[in-house]
Amino acid sequence: MKIFYLEHLKLRKKTRSWLGPILVFSLIMIAYPLTVEFLQTNLEKGFYSLLWISILLSMMLATEDIFLEDFSDGTLEQTIISNTSFPLLIAKKIFIYWLMIGVPISFLSFLFSLSLTQDFNLSLSIFPLSVVSSYIFLNLFVFGNALSLNKGSVLGAIITMPLALPVLIILGKSVIAIEFGINYVEFLLLLLGILSIIITIVPFIISYVIKAHLE
Amino acid sequence: MNTDQLVSAENITYKINDNKLFHNISFFLEKGKALHICGSNGSGKSTLIRIILGITSQTKGDMNIFSEKKICYLGHKNAIKSYLSIEDNLLIMGLTTHSNINKYIDILELRDYLDVIVGNLSFGQQKKVALLRVFLNDSDLIVLDEPFVGLDSDAQNLLNQFLIEELNTKKGLIFTSHIKCEINSKTINLE
Repeated sequence: MKIFYLEHLKLRKKTRSWLGPILVFSLIMIAYPLTVEFLQTNLEKGFYSLLWISILLSMMLATEDIFLEDFSDGTLEQTIISNTSFPLLIAKKIFIYWLMIGVPISFLSFLFSLSLTQDFNLSLSIFPLSVVSSYIFLNLFVFGNALSLNKGSVLGAIITMPLALPVLIILGKSVIAIEFGINYVEFLLLLLGILSIIITIVPFIISYVIKAHLE
Repeated sequence: MNTDQLVSAENITYKINDNKLFHNISFFLEKGKALHICGSNGSGKSTLIRIILGITSQTKGDMNIFSEKKICYLGHKNAIKSYLSIEDNLLIMGLTTHSNINKYIDILELRDYLDVIVGNLSFGQQKKVALLRVFLNDSDLIVLDEPFVGLDSDAQNLLNQFLIEELNTKKGLIFTSHIKCEINSKTINLE
């Protein structure tokens, strides 16, 4: 539990790192109705595509400096020579980022969806989808960030962007299923399956990549 | 194997792009002994330290560490968070509950700056914060890369004295330093 608290403390004090992605997400969501025809009745048309892409971009932004500062100030070296499990530490760090950035964004997704569609059930179905997808995106971008740790983190995130495309497709299909009243739980389970594989494997790969960078 | 042995290195070689940085370095370190790694800039002192710590892999040779506890290491990078206060940094380093924490905060004259963001402190004060990790260590091997750089003479003397006392408690010490110190040590010259 202590490591969760310490990672939370570090992220909380870096206001730009956690508030920035949330603000960017909110600004995109607020800007959307302003950019379409004022009298258009079905604003939800295209809204969910924008929602998923906004979550994707916000998660990319959130991971921008997740390891950079630990790499620059020598904290990663201290971690590697300590007796703590490095993959476990990475997994916990990603979890804290998701808790402080991914979950609030998912909650905002629900609110924005509700305000735009006035459909409570539809918006409520969007919430678990955004919770799970934000965690998947976060893991993927953290991996990308680790790949390009000392070469500019955005580059690595862009490289890993194609890995997120299947998730976007599933999210798109889920919304169609919800709108047609078809059971979307299968899609949610599919996302959970992807997430369970990713959160098991990604921390190990990242720890290997970071160790290679430190060499 | 000698049970007092903490580190043993046999024929360590390190190459960068086919250029040998150092070749066939062998040494061992026993409890209560110090090892001073000397050499000019770029001779590979920090690289050898990173090899000892297992951060960097040697090109050839065997490196063994027999320390049962966590190694205490302070390198060129201080491993402190510049956007946090000294108090928060101590919390992250897990030193807040140490019995000697108040003693060293007073000796290093950091008491008045506990709630100050580390990034706003001078280089020497930041180094003192990082040195708390060494002063409050619970390891049997201390590895330091240029520990005296940035310290005033009082802090240098304090560290010098502290390291001598640590050696008396059967801890091992490996260090690099361009600043003269009074620690009785074996020397490896990487010239």
